[in-house]
Amino acid sequence: MAIAGEQEFGGDPPVAPTSPAARVQSLLAAASSVRSAMRGVPKFSFFYLIVIIIATLFAPLIAPFDPIKTAPTNILAEPAWGQHLLGTDHLGRDILSRMIYGARISVIVGFMAVVISGVLGTLIALASGVARGWIDTLLMRLTDGFLALPYLMVAVTVIAILGAGLWNVILVIALLRWMTYARIIRGEVLSLMQMDYIRLARVAGASNLRIIFRHVAPNIINTLLVLATLEVGLAIIAEASLSYLGLGIPRPQPSWGTMLAESQEWVFVAWWLPMVPGVAITLLVMSFNLMGDWLRDRTDPTRRQL
Amino acid sequence: MGRYVLTRVLQGLLTLWLVTVAVFFLVRLTGNPIHFMISPDATPADRQRLIEYYGFDKSYWEQYINYNKNFLKGEFGESLRWDSRDGFEVFVDRLPATIQLTLAAMFFSIIVGVTLGVLSATNPDSLFDRVSKVVAILGQSMPVFWVGILMILVFAVYFNVLPAGGSIERLGWKAIVLPAVTLGWLFVAAHMRIVRSSMIEVLDSEYIKMIRAKGLPRRMVIWKHALKNASIPIFTLFMVNFAQLISGAVVTETIFSWPGIGRLLVDSIFVRDFAVAQTVVFFGAGFIVAINLTVDIIYGLLDPRIRVAQ
Repeated sequence: MAIAGEQEFGGDPPVAPTSPAARVQSLLAAASSVRSAMRGVPKFSFFYLIVIIIATLFAPLIAPFDPIKTAPTNILAEPAWGQHLLGTDHLGRDILSRMIYGARISVIVGFMAVVISGVLGTLIALASGVARGWIDTLLMRLTDGFLALPYLMVAVTVIAILGAGLWNVILVIALLRWMTYARIIRGEVLSLMQMDYIRLARVAGASNLRIIFRHVAPNIINTLLVLATLEVGLAIIAEASLSYLGLGIPRPQPSWGTMLAESQEWVFVAWWLPMVPGVAITLLVMSFNLMGDWLRDRTDPTRRQL
Repeated sequence: MGRYVLTRVLQGLLTLWLVTVAVFFLVRLTGNPIHFMISPDATPADRQRLIEYYGFDKSYWEQYINYNKNFLKGEFGESLRWDSRDGFEVFVDRLPATIQLTLAAMFFSIIVGVTLGVLSATNPDSLFDRVSKVVAILGQSMPVFWVGILMILVFAVYFNVLPAGGSIERLGWKAIVLPAVTLGWLFVAAHMRIVRSSMIEVLDSEYIKMIRAKGLPRRMVIWKHALKNASIPIFTLFMVNFAQLISGAVVTETIFSWPGIGRLLVDSIFVRDFAVAQTVVFFGAGFIVAINLTVDIIYGLLDPRIRVAQ
């Protein structure tokens, strides 16, 4: 993106500028191209996501307290400046620190589940859209079958059998959520396959694999990106729901869902216990959804309003 | 049409069969399920007796045949928790509570969703429209269980007007309000959106302009003529979401200690009562398959293009 901007604005080849003035100019050009790429981005969502990502990356440096260390003498302390910014829970653990560490779980699960299910769904869509015939029928019936599963019921049962844990949660969410990608991307692939340039490539003797990677893949990346952004929120909610039911990330590791589950018992005395993780999850999911909407509008010229 | 219905029914049955296969293998995937069922300090003799009793010493093939045989006889396996009653009986006992809850939740989400949707479609850029937009965004972003805890915080703790959990038998109709609103909230946003967009489309049509020009009162135009004609896509979404409510019920019933099948599933899983868990998952899937089938068939009847496309 930055390189394209440099060429567009300065006309220089993308080599390191020599004079200070040229350096400043190229920096400005880069900044302006970033600005034009980010036009209309939902600002709040964007900054919230940055805050969460920073919390995820530098949790041990930022967290003021140990997230799992209990303090029996200081339980259910109200949020206050100075000591515990967001209060303490029923075991005296600092809620802010638990939130910061818990962000890691949400982000990792959301990201990994979406990557795995996205890859799986896309592969299925490509196989069925390019090969057609009985492969297509079989894969689409499989997709329909998975769509008919009572999602959370199956997730709960499978995790109960496999055992709780970060990777099991990620895998179960990914394996139950690839159908959206498979269906939507198959549709795109089918319409792409009707395009003249792909027919010509076929006439010219291109193999299926070459058609997929050379001609189809670059055209479905946008859709994939938009879908993935919208699905991250659902994956985060799924992790939190599983943790809420006690089948997600094992305690005492902090996950926002677990924190909400623990808060329910104390809701009569400590309002901040459910409010803090609840607001954080809602904002996180909302931010991903708004970013997804924004990406969709950007990548689809018919919806773009400049 | 007969052919269309037949393929749809067969596809539905195939899906259900896949579910039973998946559950069968998953239960056996991590080794012998007996290790989950029995306490770790049981004697080897007890362990062996239980393994033979459940037939886990046989080959997978034999086990699978037995599983299907019992299945055809309508036996889903003995519950470990409920005095060895059949999983199916335990399930049936808990079913009415879930039906009450999902119907009430559906009722809530339809009433609120349709009202907000119609009002925001007929008054674009008004206060209603803006409120509905906020509701739509929040509805997609708030996890069910947090909505539930918020409801408890506001109506059970702060105002103290509704109970925080329990069944209708014990607490009367008041007990269903919070769980139904919590579960229904999940779909208010979706219902509102589809009502809004189909209403906007219909309101723009010639026949609506015609009856408007004839001088029919605005209220009649909107609520009788426009809503009626906008109702086909809306109705489909209602049905599809109704099927999805079953999944949402797992969490909602846990929050409010509602004695339905969702809570039964979670409880069974924690005591490793797989016969019951299996039954719940099977009928959950069966319910969704049945609803989807109904929607497909009704749609096929209404729109010949769909039948032919298959």
